[in-house]
Amino acid sequence: MNTLEINNCTMRFGGLTCVDKLNAFVGENELVGMIGPNGAGKTTVFNIITGVYNPTEGDVLFNGTSVVPLRAYQVAELGISRTFQNIRLFSSLSVRDNIRVSFVKSVKAGFFQSVFNVGKISDEEKYFDEKTDELLEIFGLSDVGDEYARSLPYGEQRKVEIIRALATSPKLLLLDEPAAGMNPTEKTELMSLIKMIKDKFGISILLIEHDMGVVMGVCERIFVLDYGKKIAEGIPDHIKNHPKVIEAYLGETHTDA
Amino acid sequence: MSKDKLIFLAAVAALFALNFLSPSIDPYYYTIIIYIGINIILASSLNLINGYTGQFSLGHAGFMAIGAYMSAAVSTYFAPSFEGLMSMGAVGEAIVFVILLVIAGVAAAIAGILVGVPSLRLRGDYLAITTLGFAEIIRVIIQSLEVVGASQGFRGAYIFNNGMKAAQIPADMSEVPNTFFAVPKFTDFFWTYLFVAVIIFFIVNLMNSTYGRGFLAVKDDEVAAESMGVNSTKFKVIAFVSGAFFAGIAGSLYAHFNLYINPEDFNFLKSVEIVVMVILGGMGSLVGVVIAAVLLTILPELLRGVAEYRMIIYALLLIIMMLTRPQGLFGVKLRTRKNRT
Repeated sequence: MNTLEINNCTMRFGGLTCVDKLNAFVGENELVGMIGPNGAGKTTVFNIITGVYNPTEGDVLFNGTSVVPLRAYQVAELGISRTFQNIRLFSSLSVRDNIRVSFVKSVKAGFFQSVFNVGKISDEEKYFDEKTDELLEIFGLSDVGDEYARSLPYGEQRKVEIIRALATSPKLLLLDEPAAGMNPTEKTELMSLIKMIKDKFGISILLIEHDMGVVMGVCERIFVLDYGKKIAEGIPDHIKNHPKVIEAYLGETHTDA
Repeated sequence: MSKDKLIFLAAVAALFALNFLSPSIDPYYYTIIIYIGINIILASSLNLINGYTGQFSLGHAGFMAIGAYMSAAVSTYFAPSFEGLMSMGAVGEAIVFVILLVIAGVAAAIAGILVGVPSLRLRGDYLAITTLGFAEIIRVIIQSLEVVGASQGFRGAYIFNNGMKAAQIPADMSEVPNTFFAVPKFTDFFWTYLFVAVIIFFIVNLMNSTYGRGFLAVKDDEVAAESMGVNSTKFKVIAFVSGAFFAGIAGSLYAHFNLYINPEDFNFLKSVEIVVMVILGGMGSLVGVVIAAVLLTILPELLRGVAEYRMIIYALLLIIMMLTRPQGLFGVKLRTRKNRT
């Protein structure tokens, strides 16, 4: 069974069709790229998957369960996590506390035990602390754990967002333009990071990216959106030379010219 | 036993001992000390909603009114049922007061659910207006409720020998013998600061726990919080309900100290006063809000010397404060993004 299946999904806002009868899937432990020109509907697809929008038509299945009727937090509980195109870290919280938010859904202690600080709560808090340390260590951010997340340089903020998403222990990670605003060195680092996440955590990843170097470098399979429609799908080499993709990005080719 | 509970118990013991000093304190200062405590409870409970969870509520006096009237009415109209307990001395009185406080808190918490659940679909200004409207509705309803004295205020209840009960003696009942049950005096230094300790314990533990991160996340970015599996509606309702619960308790403490309550005690200005304490102290700062509650209770009293200019100076100080420290006394100023490269 595929981790994620998008079946015949359509999203309309008034008269505007953002996503048009989209069929796509992400297999288990697969790294899939979603590309397309600006306004092609990529982020809308993410918002449909994560329960921010309900699709006008069609269905989205995660490990066989439909996520359409679920609210965003329920989708996250099910095991889909994401990062945002424009970074959305919790600005008044430190890096560690940003990550701790992801553990809220797995707190067993609940309200009253937290207030009275009784029961197994200290074991639980210790476990969350260790998990946070471990994640910070993997991403090389151990020394900035107590800084305000928003005070970090851009590249590190992106990393914190990825850590925060991973801390929810997802089975599917959605990355929305993780390379945006990064310099070439950071991009190379990001590519090995994404590959490492996939192998180390054994999860599936769906990636939106404009940087072709990054997409072609890491993705196993790519599908291309234009005006909400899927116009091509395949391995990176196939996509690179696909006439429809070139047309979507560069405009029509005139052979008679 | 963990450290936080030891500190709490030590604080309660200290309060109990300090309480024996209260007869030696000048009644004027004693009143101010009690009002400081009540205001700390009110401001800290509003801080749960406005400060930590970022929902702008402007109706806290409404919850306080519900607690005050509920507790005052129950303690007088049902006074004969409490007589047995009351005759048992200090312990009996304490039991009665705890029952009244719980009734006041729960009644306000229920109101918190009623106003919270539908209005949590609203954000920012809209929520502020809705909660403000709610508090005014509460006040207007009380103002027309004869059973709690309407706009005359409430001191106690007459229980007539024929079984009738009323807040005032109706004309046609003037011949019937009656017993007057005044709102009993329960609130003292110990009870007031016991609940100050309780709410501080409550906030410190909750906000240091991982669970408490949910409130802060909802304040900062609801969409991101939901995407990380935080049920934002649940956290907002919890904040509203627990904030209302403590406001109800503050109301009960107020009623059983003042022994006379009037709907005007819980008007829009009271709500604003509590909001000002939270903003001045720094949204989401426990220490700041406590200090602001203390300062803003004392300040109008200190300014009594300049009589008619009192409120002008008070307002000016607030304006200066907001201009120089917009984040509040102890609020954290968010550092703008700096590049460390």
